[in-house]
Amino acid sequence: MTKIGLPKALFYYQHSAVWEGFFRNLGCEVIVSGDTNKEILDRGVRCCSNDTCLPVKVFHGHVDILKGNVDYVFIPRYTCLINREYTCPKFCGLPEMTYLNLDKQVRLLEISLNVETGHMEAAKGLKTVSKSLDLDYRAAEEAFQNALRELEQGYKKCENSFGEPVAKERDRKRQTLAVLGHPYMIYDKYLSMKLLEKLRSRNISIVTPADLEYQTKRRHAVPYQEKVFWEVGLDNLGSAFVFAGSENIDGIIYLTPFACGVDSFVIEFIERRLKSDYTVPFLKLTVDEHTGEAGFDTRLEAFLDMIG
Amino acid sequence: MKITFPHMGNLFIPLKVLFDILEIDYAVPSLSRCKFEEGIAHSPEFACLPFKITLGDLLDGIEQGADHILYGGGCGQCRFGYYADLHEAILKSAGYDVTMIRLDSSNMTFQELMGKLKPFTEGKSKARLVRGILSAVNTVLMADRLSKTAAWIRCREQQKGDTDKVMRRFNQRIIKAKGYKEIKQLIHSARKQLRSIPVDLEFKPLKVAIVGEIYTSIDPFVNMEMESKLGSLGVEVHNHLTISSWVIDHGIKKVLPLKLKNKAHERGKELFDTDDIGGHGLQTVGNAILSAQKGFDGVIHTYPFTCLPEIVAQCSFGEIQDQYGIPIMTLIIDELTGKAGYETRIEAFVDMLERRRQLELQKTMREAF
Repeated sequence: MTKIGLPKALFYYQHSAVWEGFFRNLGCEVIVSGDTNKEILDRGVRCCSNDTCLPVKVFHGHVDILKGNVDYVFIPRYTCLINREYTCPKFCGLPEMTYLNLDKQVRLLEISLNVETGHMEAAKGLKTVSKSLDLDYRAAEEAFQNALRELEQGYKKCENSFGEPVAKERDRKRQTLAVLGHPYMIYDKYLSMKLLEKLRSRNISIVTPADLEYQTKRRHAVPYQEKVFWEVGLDNLGSAFVFAGSENIDGIIYLTPFACGVDSFVIEFIERRLKSDYTVPFLKLTVDEHTGEAGFDTRLEAFLDMIG
Repeated sequence: MKITFPHMGNLFIPLKVLFDILEIDYAVPSLSRCKFEEGIAHSPEFACLPFKITLGDLLDGIEQGADHILYGGGCGQCRFGYYADLHEAILKSAGYDVTMIRLDSSNMTFQELMGKLKPFTEGKSKARLVRGILSAVNTVLMADRLSKTAAWIRCREQQKGDTDKVMRRFNQRIIKAKGYKEIKQLIHSARKQLRSIPVDLEFKPLKVAIVGEIYTSIDPFVNMEMESKLGSLGVEVHNHLTISSWVIDHGIKKVLPLKLKNKAHERGKELFDTDDIGGHGLQTVGNAILSAQKGFDGVIHTYPFTCLPEIVAQCSFGEIQDQYGIPIMTLIIDELTGKAGYETRIEAFVDMLERRRQLELQKTMREAF
């Protein structure tokens, strides 16, 4: 059976089920790299240029760990998953970036996803997939169409596989904090320095953008309600104002990797509007590969003390 | 009503011509970027350098009395498309009352474009509008030709510094000049002066191409006068990205019904099997490959710190260096870049290219005899 490797980074935290299903349907064995750890991070840092962002470095580490144990590593190329919403440029060049940074020592499978061209570009990737796996092209295409349907449904319904349900009424005994950020930052225990666990251990309930419905987030994403923007940016931008307007939320924490291009703009939009129109406390936590956990904890504790 | 706009290389020259012909009052931000620090103070920490610098330009223009801001932009994966909105939000919360006129070349029809420009075009005849646009396009072509001439002469001049002297005087005068006639006259006379500089025609300069993010590669303030630094070291500089190519790509080609493809962009697909990695990313890759094939001695790749598309493009350079045998150096610039360290790197790179050329020469000589 062909072994397909799925790096547990970036897209994995949103669409793992879709791609695992896709390859299982095609009769492959799917191997997921383990949780991020020091070794994976170090390997990633070694093969990337300095100013690549932390999540992409970690992604390289996962591929590097996987490459010896599997026949192919799968990296989808996300360009545009929903009309008029784009991904960060690094996602568009991710397959080549990984391939070139790892000195071409890895065998990749790649499928392009671009709604705006009706997934025309996907055909080429699917042909390679079907050829490499020794399958009929039709079977690959059918599995791909199924995967697309699942992706689409995932966006429509409120996905809540990681967070806790939003409290309908204010729970007087428990505080509720909103944690914003890219899914691959807040759900990766190593990169987020166990932020969610730390909050939970203090009996604080947590909500994340994944707890809100797609349309709600888009409606509140000032000033990009009807305009073109980054997909993950819209999620965070919209969620920030929904949470800020809710009485149940005691504070907002935004976890961002050092020098993230998307976040640099999104956070600025959020901070300026929160300052002028809302009263909710806001904490921005920046992490990179050198961040010490003690300093991170101190900032978090100070914020929690402040909100009382 | 007074209009201002951010700088981008020599874009201010054609814009001056356009506004003069349309009789619109305008304020040009200073070329020395006197509001540079203030722009940085108001910007998000990890915004790219062009964002911070253009914010400084706008503050400068506003101080000179401007109440309207003209802004180009496009959508897509690069942050440039979102500059105007964030600038607007920042200026608003800093207490400035200005109107943003945002031209989005990739997302607008011609009618929408004219609608946005209505306050300026109202009451002006169509003939004058057409004359204004054509003169502006002609000016940008002339201005770019002038910088090309300067690049050719600078590395060959007998008295070092002659070209820079002419260009410096030209920049001082052009910012004060008024009207198409005077600007045209100034460009012509600068060209004449450049041509009268005594040059060493025997000298064989090293040829280096500058590729990368457009703002850093064409704006001398941002790239710390890289072109004149290289020229004074006796290097012929070819800058593949110019304002005229930008205007042609984003303005003229969009209006034409033909689908013309950018050669460098297409070439970049050799290493990246996709249509777009944002910004000029694919053009950077393509231009590096094309430069190698055209026999350049080296390539300098430059981009502002945290630039998304160029980080992706940079990954391919190891491969290009191996495959095409051309040295590539990446220079990343932000507001904290020290000029001395930056110049040392350029000098070291040029020294290396010179040695490389001599070794190759020796090798061919040995093989010949």
